[in-house]
Formats: sequence, C-alpha cells, structure tokens
Amino acid sequence: MRAYFKFEFIQFLFNKKNIAIYVILLFLACFYALKIAPSYDPIEKVDRDEIEARFLTREDFLNNVVIDENSYPLTRFAAAIYPEWNEYDKQRLDALDSNRLREYAGSTYKWYEYSDYMIFRNGNGLLYYNPRYYTAGNLYATEDGHYAYMYSASRYKGYAQGDSELSMDVFEERTALQTLQRLLHGYLPIILLVCCILFTADIVLKDKRNLTVIKGFPISVWRRLVVKGGVALIGSSLTIIPLSIGFIIVAIQHGMGDLNLPVPIFSYEARAFTTITMGEYLFQNVLLMLFWFLLLISLLLLLSIQIRHEFANLVLGCVVVFAEFYYYVRGLGFVKEIQWYPSSYVQVGQIVAGYREYLNNSASLTFENGIAVMSVCTAIILLVTLIISKTKRFKYL
Amino acid sequence: MIELRSIGVNFSGRDILKEVSITFHPGEIIGLVAPNGTGKSTLMNVIMNYLQPNSGKVRFNNELEYTTKKNEVKIHKLLSMMPDQSDLYNHLSGKQHLKLYSSMWDSNPQLIENTIAALGMESYVNKKTGTYSLGMRQRLCFAMQIVSDTQIMLMDEVMNGLDPTQVEIISQILVKKREEGKTIIIASHLLENLEKYANRIFFVKNGNLDSTEDIHRNLGVNGNMVIRVPEGTPELKQKLSVAFPELDIQLLANSVILIEFPKNESGTLENISAFLNENHEHQTFSVGKMTLSDLYSKYYH
Repeated sequence: MRAYFKFEFIQFLFNKKNIAIYVILLFLACFYALKIAPSYDPIEKVDRDEIEARFLTREDFLNNVVIDENSYPLTRFAAAIYPEWNEYDKQRLDALDSNRLREYAGSTYKWYEYSDYMIFRNGNGLLYYNPRYYTAGNLYATEDGHYAYMYSASRYKGYAQGDSELSMDVFEERTALQTLQRLLHGYLPIILLVCCILFTADIVLKDKRNLTVIKGFPISVWRRLVVKGGVALIGSSLTIIPLSIGFIIVAIQHGMGDLNLPVPIFSYEARAFTTITMGEYLFQNVLLMLFWFLLLISLLLLLSIQIRHEFANLVLGCVVVFAEFYYYVRGLGFVKEIQWYPSSYVQVGQIVAGYREYLNNSASLTFENGIAVMSVCTAIILLVTLIISKTKRFKYL
Repeated sequence: MIELRSIGVNFSGRDILKEVSITFHPGEIIGLVAPNGTGKSTLMNVIMNYLQPNSGKVRFNNELEYTTKKNEVKIHKLLSMMPDQSDLYNHLSGKQHLKLYSSMWDSNPQLIENTIAALGMESYVNKKTGTYSLGMRQRLCFAMQIVSDTQIMLMDEVMNGLDPTQVEIISQILVKKREEGKTIIIASHLLENLEKYANRIFFVKNGNLDSTEDIHRNLGVNGNMVIRVPEGTPELKQKLSVAFPELDIQLLANSVILIEFPKNESGTLENISAFLNENHEHQTFSVGKMTLSDLYSKYYH
C-alpha cells in the first residue's frame, strides 16, 4: 500500500494539469499580494481627518445651540446624543495624536457600540451608517452597516482588552493573517474547492491510459480508492504552498499579524458578537476546508467508478460547490431548513464567523453543524463506494 | 498451479471459449497459438479475472478462486500479466517502472539490477520511456513482469518488436524462470521460437484449446516426414496430386506445398524430387518432420 501511495503521489505531482493549477494559484497569490491587497480600502478605516471633521462639526453645534421650549425636536435629539458621541471621538483623536493605540481601540469600541445603538435603534431614518454601505440596489444597507458596526465594536474591544501588538495595519485588517481572514471570508474557499475538484476529477480515470500496467496490482479497489483519495487530499492541502508566497509578500508589506488577535464571531441566538483568537479562527477554517475536501474527494471517487467520465466529475463537483448560488436568498434560513445542505457551508470563513447565520436569519448554520453535515454526507458516500467496490462483479475501469 | 474448469465465454451469441478445462502446472511453459481474435487474450483475461466467464471457474493452487474481492487480491499476488507497451508511463523512466512492479509485488529488489543486466537495458533504463523504441518498450514490459517475480506469469505477444538476439535472450530467461518453478503462459506468433522452449502448446480454435500433441495424433501426422515446397502454386499442387494420388498434398496459406509421406517407401522421395526438379525449377525444397508452423497452417487451413 505504501508503494502504491508513493507511486500515486508521484503521478499526482508530475501531472501537468496539477502543476498548472499550482502555478496559476501562485500567480494569483502574487497578483493579489502585490496589486489587490495594497489597494484594499476598508469602509471602517482609521481616518483621523474624518473623525476630526465630524468632531468639530458636532462640537461647534453643541457650543452654539440653544435648547429651549421652542427648539425643534430633532435639534433637541442631536443635542442629547452628540455629547457622548463627541466624547468618544475626542478620546479617539487624543489617542491617535499621542499614539496610544490601545486607548484608541478602547474608545473606538465604545464609539462603534454607541453609534450602532443610536443608528440602528434610534436612527429612524435620521442617522445613517457609513455612506459606503448605501450602494445602489442594496436593500440591506442598514443591516450591513449594523453588522459591520457590531463587528468593529467587538474587534476593537478585543484589541483594547488583548495584549497583541497594535498598529494601523491591525486596525484596518491589513496584516497577513487578517488578509487571510478576509480572503477566507470571501471567495478563497471556493477557489480551493474548485482546485480540489480539478485535482480529483481524473485521479481514478487517468488509469485508463495505463490500464494494463496497473490493473493487475495486488491491491483491492477500495484500497486503491483510499490511496487516491489520500493523495487528492494531500494535493489539495498543498495549495497552501503557492498561497503562502502571497502571504509572505503581504507580511513583508503590512506585518504578519498575531495569532492572538481577536476575531469577532456572531451568534444569531445571542444576536451579539464574541471573539475568538485568530489561531482558533484559522484552525476552524482549516478543519471545515478539510471536511469539504473529504466530501468532494469521496463524491468524485464514487462518480469515477460509477459514471466513469471526467467531465461528469467536474460538472457534478461544481454543482455541489456552487449550488448555494441557485437557492440563496437573504433570510432564507428563517423559512427553509438549509442547514441540512452541505452546499450551505461553502463560504467557510463566513460560517466560522457566524456571518451566514446573520445573513440567513438562522441559528443553525454553525461551524459544528457544518462539520456534522459534511461528516454524515462523506460517511454515506464512502459507505456506498465501499459496498460497490466489494461487489464481486464490480470491475475497476 | 492453474486449473480451468469448464470455462465458457460468449460474446454476442458467439462462443469465444467453450467449456475449456485444463490444468497448468508449476515449472511449465505453455504456448497459446491462434490467429488474432480467436480467444487467446480472452483466456488470459479470464485467468486474471478481468473478464468473468459465462460459465466455469479458475482455481489456483487447489484452493483459491475468484469468489471474493479479497481472494482476487490474494490471487493477484501469485499472478501477473505482462503490460502492454503502449500503456507505459511516458514521463517515468524504465527503472521507475521496474521499481514500481518490484515494490507492488514486494519482490527481491536485487532482481531489478539482475534483470536490467540480463536484458542489456543499462544504457537506457534511466531515461523516460517516452523516448524508447518499440523494442525497448517491449523489453521493459517483459522486465517488469520478471521483477514482479510472481509464481504465475501471463505474457501476450511477448516477442513483438524484438530482434532475433533479444528473442533469444528472453527465451533463455523464460527457460530459467521455468526452472525456478514458475508457470508461464505465453501467447505468441513466433512459432519456431515457441516450439523451442514451450512444454505444451495449444491451438485455440472454435472456442477450444487443442494440444498440438492431440492435433498431431488426430491428423495422423505424428512424427511423419514431410516435404516442404516453398512458393507453391495451385497448378503445381494439382500436378503433384495427379502424379502422386496416394500422398496427402496440401497448399498452405503461406504458399507452401506440404507433401506427407507416412511410409518412406523406396523410391518415393526420389520420384518426388525428380518431379519437382522438372516442374518447379530453380526452387529448393526441404525434407523433415512437420514443424509447428506447418501444423499451424494445416490446422487453420
């Protein structure tokens, strides 16, 4: 079995298609690190000028406003809420000017918490989140702003209470680890899953080209498939190597970050954020990705011995990965049991962060449920494959 | 030991193998001879369990049958089939192929170097097989099976694309393997070569495996002397039949006229010789026992 594994692994590494995938990933990682990451423009950035402008405008208003029985209600409202708001902005400005970053984090946490409370609970169409949330056609701009402010509040609270080294890059989530976190929250998991499909689609069917060499090996079909699955899993995991080049480039530009940095996790049940460490967050992402790889690999192995067509492997593998795009509607989890579909967990970073719970109005789209659903699906597929491969009349290719 | 019990294979209503029952013993080289498409490869595929027969079963060493997938693995530890040269991995070297087979069957690694030396593959064995000629690929395929060192070896057209020297070297290795107690089944069209080292030779016809010994006996030509006349024509055959009506005269597919004379009565050979000198000028003819080629041509005529 070890000899067969070694043989299959060498085949995998020398496969031109696989080499091309690694090279493309390397190119994409470098392109991202050199071109896209430096131009990242977060909505919630550290902008002293903006803080100062807002502070001075409100301070000027508070210094000049006269509140009496004739004052307009909105003027009264502004005069009531601006003092605390401005106090936080003042603390932020002072902290920035004296480079006391932990204090800045503490006051920014309070600023976001107060802002969200004011805008979401008391705004009534008068107060708004950052205007960049209000893009054309976005019906959920307020909800997006609400999530982002809660997220930022939780994040800055974590910075203030933690002992990680802070910097502007940390605040704007530009460090290498935070960039990875953002990518996991975005389309990186889907890219890696598509790579896994491409690696696995031909791992069995390529044997057709060398059938008489390998057909008589004294090893059972099931063991062959297990070895091939193992090779595909390792090969898919090796995508970390080209990606790490991009990671290193970002780390050189903006720093590595810290595995103890807080990552906010949303809980739909509590309607609030808690934080876990960056290390925990990445570990959960890796774990969920590994379960995704296992699910896809076992599915493609089964298809390979049943349908025996590479194109069918590609299509059906992609259908599983992209299925969520067909049924996803914001808030769907409230009316439909989408937590039972493996494809609901494809946005791995968003699942771990609880963002999918927020988007789907469902407390069930959790990391734990994702692991459970994918384990069950993988186990069923492997069981079917085992039964088929042990059937007396079954022929390998 | 391989025991075939009533093996029947039927494709689209056509019997490829009909109730074939036979036993192949250790220390035997078995030759399978037949025109293309008559069932040689089918028989090997049945032995390997690549093809399940419609009836019958194959038994190994009086104990193992293809009843379960577990048994199949056990049997494949005893058994190997020579790969097709077109199926080699072009990006791997010959030595990597040999190491693969050696490690898959867990054989003695020393066999790799020994086989390379025996087959004279030193100069190219480390190069990628994509650069090999047909003969080099064929030698590698043979070497792969030798390094697997299985108890039973199946070889389909092992001598294809090889020059006479290589044919001789491989023949010697086969004889050595037989002496080691291997059971070797070879399908080949090199009849003279096969005749030299095969213990038993079978012709496959109409789904049956007929031993050449039985064929000789049934045709009544066992040990008979024959005159072989190359470049024969139907006219010459006609003339010979008229001149010597008591003799069995055949024009074979390879344009050889075969004249059998069971009893070398005095003067017959001289008369035939004189007749041929007169009617078939500038051509030589030979006298001797019936060869496998003659028997093949006669059998499939």
